[in-house]
Amino acid sequence: MPNSFIPALDPAALPGPPWLFHVLWVLTFLIHLIFVNMVLGGTLLAAFVGRKKPGAREVQTFFVGLNSWVISFAITFGIAPLLFMQVLFGRFFYTATILLAWAWLGMLGILTLGYYLNYLAKFRLRNGKNVRVVVIIEAVCFLTIAGIQVAINLLHLQPGRWESVAQQAWAALGDPTLVPRILHFVFAAVGMAGAVLALVATRRATKGVDREACQGMAQFGIRAALIATGLELLDGFWLLFALPEEVLKAFMRGGPATMIPLTIGILFGLLLLIVLAQITDPLAQAKKVRRVAEMIVGAVVFMVVTRHQLRGIYLAPWRGEEHVTVATQWGPLALFLVVFVLCLGLTVYAIVRASKDKPGPGEEAA
Amino acid sequence: MDYPIWNLSMGGGVLIAIVAITHVWVSHFAIGGGLAIAIVETLGVRRHDPALRNLAKRCSLMLILVSTVFGAISGVGIWVTIGLVQPAATSALIHNYVWGWAAEWGFFILEVATALLYYATWDKVRPRTHLLIIWLYFFAAYMSLVIIQGIVSFMLTPGQWIVSHSFWDGIFNPTYFPGLLLRTGICLLLAGAYMIFAAMREPDGDARGRMVRLMAGFQVIGALVAYGGYRWWEHSLPESVRVLFLGSSPIVPALATTRLLVLWALAAFLLLGLFAYLIPRAQRWPMAVVALLAAFTFFGASERVREGVRKPFVIRDFMFSNGVLVSEIADINRHGILAKAKWAARESDGSPVSMGRAVYRAECQACHTVDGYSSLRKLVAPADADTLGVILSTLRAEGDEYTSGKYLELGHVATQKLDYPHMPPLVGTPEEIEALKAYLLSLHKPKIAEVPNAK
Repeated sequence: MPNSFIPALDPAALPGPPWLFHVLWVLTFLIHLIFVNMVLGGTLLAAFVGRKKPGAREVQTFFVGLNSWVISFAITFGIAPLLFMQVLFGRFFYTATILLAWAWLGMLGILTLGYYLNYLAKFRLRNGKNVRVVVIIEAVCFLTIAGIQVAINLLHLQPGRWESVAQQAWAALGDPTLVPRILHFVFAAVGMAGAVLALVATRRATKGVDREACQGMAQFGIRAALIATGLELLDGFWLLFALPEEVLKAFMRGGPATMIPLTIGILFGLLLLIVLAQITDPLAQAKKVRRVAEMIVGAVVFMVVTRHQLRGIYLAPWRGEEHVTVATQWGPLALFLVVFVLCLGLTVYAIVRASKDKPGPGEEAA
Repeated sequence: MDYPIWNLSMGGGVLIAIVAITHVWVSHFAIGGGLAIAIVETLGVRRHDPALRNLAKRCSLMLILVSTVFGAISGVGIWVTIGLVQPAATSALIHNYVWGWAAEWGFFILEVATALLYYATWDKVRPRTHLLIIWLYFFAAYMSLVIIQGIVSFMLTPGQWIVSHSFWDGIFNPTYFPGLLLRTGICLLLAGAYMIFAAMREPDGDARGRMVRLMAGFQVIGALVAYGGYRWWEHSLPESVRVLFLGSSPIVPALATTRLLVLWALAAFLLLGLFAYLIPRAQRWPMAVVALLAAFTFFGASERVREGVRKPFVIRDFMFSNGVLVSEIADINRHGILAKAKWAARESDGSPVSMGRAVYRAECQACHTVDGYSSLRKLVAPADADTLGVILSTLRAEGDEYTSGKYLELGHVATQKLDYPHMPPLVGTPEEIEALKAYLLSLHKPKIAEVPNAK
């Protein structure tokens, strides 16, 4: 499909086979998304946990403490998919970001604010102060970022809408799939954060930590996961049928390659609902709680694959005349792989060593 | 250039400079600070000196807040900003250096994880493990610089890459090692400049003196290393770049002045560092503040010089700052800039002035705005139609010089022989150049005339 506004393909050859970039993109995005889900969902749960519920303070402390790590990792693991995406679809992505330039740039300011608010909440919690307002503002920051990300990612798939958005930036919000897409992310995030919260509570309970608080945390987490998963399933169908007709048809015609990941993802969702509904006493049903957390991660894996396939279908008509040349940079590719493995290994080693090398009684600590 | 063009009254280059300079202040501290904290804690453990260990502890929260929060976000910010302002250049860099960036990302994972772990494990692990974590942090942070320096210096001195397009030729370009030495010095001096504040908060007088001297040592060594790196960097630049700001009659006097600021700020910083080192008990807050400001001035100005001498290119001898490739000048002159810059062209209704405005958007807006930064209205105000015609013709003729090879020396375009060495050549068809002239002349009219219904 011709469109004079799509920038020309970069004249440089791809420095590696396209399939490798797709694989790295999907893998790193998956890790990024798991961290993002924890940040977004966890902050929402911390913001809206009932004040008088047992374990409410522990819920806030847990997520605020977790966020100070997970936000960093969400950002760090967001870099790689952004990098690989630019190699493959830079001309679409840059155009979308420029059309929504202030939102794209402003996202960084909002992220900085959200992150520092989390540290503020952490220090207030440490001093026994109330953090609800701080965490609500933090949650609004992360929700706004989710909205901006979805709007830009959606726009880069639709060159046909670029001119209208160039005339009026608010037109970017006019796509019928925008709201269900945002909700899809939000519900998944709340579901995952709820499941992880329940899992942590069951672990803590076995270690003899305040049982009532653990019970409160676990029940809140399971209830949040149940409601979010139910809404996620409904929203998933809304999103599916809100897709442009040609995209939906192409997706359905994709055969097993597209239908299997989607079907497994939906089945995971249904199964999750059943298991979640069966959990009446999370502390006593710790095994089921663990299954829930595993199934949510499983569902996210398949949904990430589906999302990537949809991107390909959206863009296919606009990339018909694209002739990519490949000149693999073997040396630099090997450098990346070696560094990646080395750094991941050192990271794991440092974490394991730090968790095990505790000073004995009377021994000096760092 | 075939991307949409973001209207930014401050100018895209200024925005990139703000984000980039803020980021490098933070990121270089993250590296030097990591080394300084590692050394301070190592000495503290070896000497059984609780004051030194407390200093390391006090600084580690700052390292987290600065490095993993602001450093990480502002680092992404540079990408976001250059993607908005220079998408074609960003794409070119990504296509050439994606594996370099990906390797740097690997080090970044280790850097972030160890920074958080280091802060979280105070009082919880044995000293040896804690030291291992901070040394791993420093290793990862410095290795990030080792990689990124290759890409940053490539943009100014691509060297053999212009011919070979080899990843390694681009990374190990003529200013790679000098720039790395310069940045290493900057990391050290920034660490000393920041952490001396933490040292001065030590209540015990003797301990304070020792710690101030240690931090001042970082300042002095850092300043000397940075000076050596800077002079080596200048020496390694191709002649076509050196003439822009060095020598008795530099082509761009403003950059020569900025260079003087670089050297004087560094000299002031060195003197303050020496004073603190020799008489640590006399160190006071105002002196530390002045030293920090001198460090910022030195670093900011040296970045400004580096960016400034790269003009008119974004990747020297390959792509101009407006996204036009050296290799496509002839083609654009034949087919027109608006045939390529479709986003700019869509704003033209076919009249000469609107077509000229589209040409301005495509070719000039990367550096100029109409009324804001580097205002074209102000620049063209003294020029009448004839003068403007001569200027535009000269600028266009310079494009021919780039393509004819007449000024090619040692593989570089000898920009000192051009009339406008700091400007990309004007490219496009004669009709487009005439249209640009018409648009620029229209800027002579008072601004009020642009307001609808104005009397």
